[in-house]
Amino acid sequence: MAGRVIVITSGKGGVGKTTTSANIGTALAKAGYKVVLIDTDLGLRNLDLLLGLENRIVYTIVDVIEERCKLRQALVKDKKNPNLSLLAAAQTRDKSAVNAEQLKEICDTLKEENDFVLIDCPAGIEQGFQNAVAGATEAIVVTTPEMSAIRDADRIIGLLEAKEEIKSYKLLLNRVRPSLIKSNDMMSVDDVVEILSCPLIGIIPEDTGIITSTNKGEPIVNDEDALAGKAYRNVAQRILGEEVPFLDLDEPKGFMAKIKNAFAKLKAKV
Amino acid sequence: MGLLSDIYNTVAKFFRPQEEQGDASKSVATNRLKLVLMQDRTNLTPKILEQMRGELIDLLSRYVELDKELLELNFEQEGNQVALMLSIPVIRAKDEEEIEAALKAEAEKLEQKAENMEEALPEGENSDICEEDSSDEQDMVCESSGSDNTAMSTPEGMTSNNNQEESQKEIQFEEQGS
Ligand SMILES: Nc1ncnc2c1ncn2[C@@H]1O[C@H](COP(=O)(O)OP(=O)(O)O)[C@@H](O)[C@H]1O
Ligand SMILES: [Mg+2]
Repeated sequence: MAGRVIVITSGKGGVGKTTTSANIGTALAKAGYKVVLIDTDLGLRNLDLLLGLENRIVYTIVDVIEERCKLRQALVKDKKNPNLSLLAAAQTRDKSAVNAEQLKEICDTLKEENDFVLIDCPAGIEQGFQNAVAGATEAIVVTTPEMSAIRDADRIIGLLEAKEEIKSYKLLLNRVRPSLIKSNDMMSVDDVVEILSCPLIGIIPEDTGIITSTNKGEPIVNDEDALAGKAYRNVAQRILGEEVPFLDLDEPKGFMAKIKNAFAKLKAKV
Repeated sequence: MGLLSDIYNTVAKFFRPQEEQGDASKSVATNRLKLVLMQDRTNLTPKILEQMRGELIDLLSRYVELDKELLELNFEQEGNQVALMLSIPVIRAKDEEEIEAALKAEAEKLEQKAENMEEALPEGENSDICEEDSSDEQDMVCESSGSDNTAMSTPEGMTSNNNQEESQKEIQFEEQGS
């Protein structure tokens, strides 16, 4: 078997790469696929925290590369889902500890025994990015509807285009706030897609549940009720080739919207 | 009915104060972003822009006397289109004789260049015609920057041609597509 190797990247930091990696990985594993997540953010490892696996890390990717352990030994299985495992980043080593060839080799080995290898990429367009992309054939570019994030995403898309091995790349728009879009203070999904001219694979709303889920070390896809969880489950389905309509984030919620809505109904009746 | 919808409107307005004035923030962001991406994506590095500036100065100098120091070349958004704005303080227009002389000198220079090229490139390839992929058409608008530029105080003792009347002449040419 040769699984798919997908890099999750963005250019700008803090836009949701790690959150996206954890959630898509979990969703695919729950759907019955064998998934390995690789954290390539050396020195800034986080994926273990989001999955609640931080206490189980014994070996890291640097230990594998420097042959202090076997690749198999460094893979940490998820608590709930044996289909999901994590290859953690080293927290202490400097970034030059890993090169692109070594990462590609690891991906090539892992894809033999897994359906998906998902790579959580560090921010930036330098060596860390080059390493993370080396073994991948697909990419998900994460951005938020903010100028600086979109500009960096455009840079990344340019770099991905130039890479022969990357056969497809898709856009994931994170932290979308319908209320801001409505008041014309945030670029809409259409605006961003038009500007970047890149096919869309998901729209994730801003959701405070993501913070609490991080606190608990449990990806929000496990929460059946959360909107962001649903949005990530939809992304996983799209990765699997299903056609899932994008969520309508426009439903009025919250106190103000309810009052406005009530008035609108009243007006309609009168 | 009138009263109720009046109340509704007043209350609704209270709850969405941004909607009326808010268009700015998003469209400003979109426009600025389109511009900066255009610069990021093209090969119009500062160096190439500088070269373009130089060639435009050469071209325009055949017809008008320019204040080269104050010339500016920038991208700007005009509605849906990105425009290349060239702002040139014009000192004075040249008269016919001067223009003819300048054109003649230029033609001679070109001839010389062509001869040199032929020697260098025996096959006579047209290698320096470059094709821009112009999916969006772009304007080139070129105008003098008016008085505020040229009215800048010049250090004492410098001879300066700063004459308000003359400097406000405008050159404008527009070029659509290719
Ligand atoms: N859709 C969202 N709603 C709310 N908070 C989010 C969302 N996506 C990400 N965050 C928060 O943003 C921060 C950065 O996310 P992270 O995934 O670590 O970004 P990156 O890996 O790109 O640096 C985290 O604190 C995370 O909880
Ligand atoms: Mg991260």
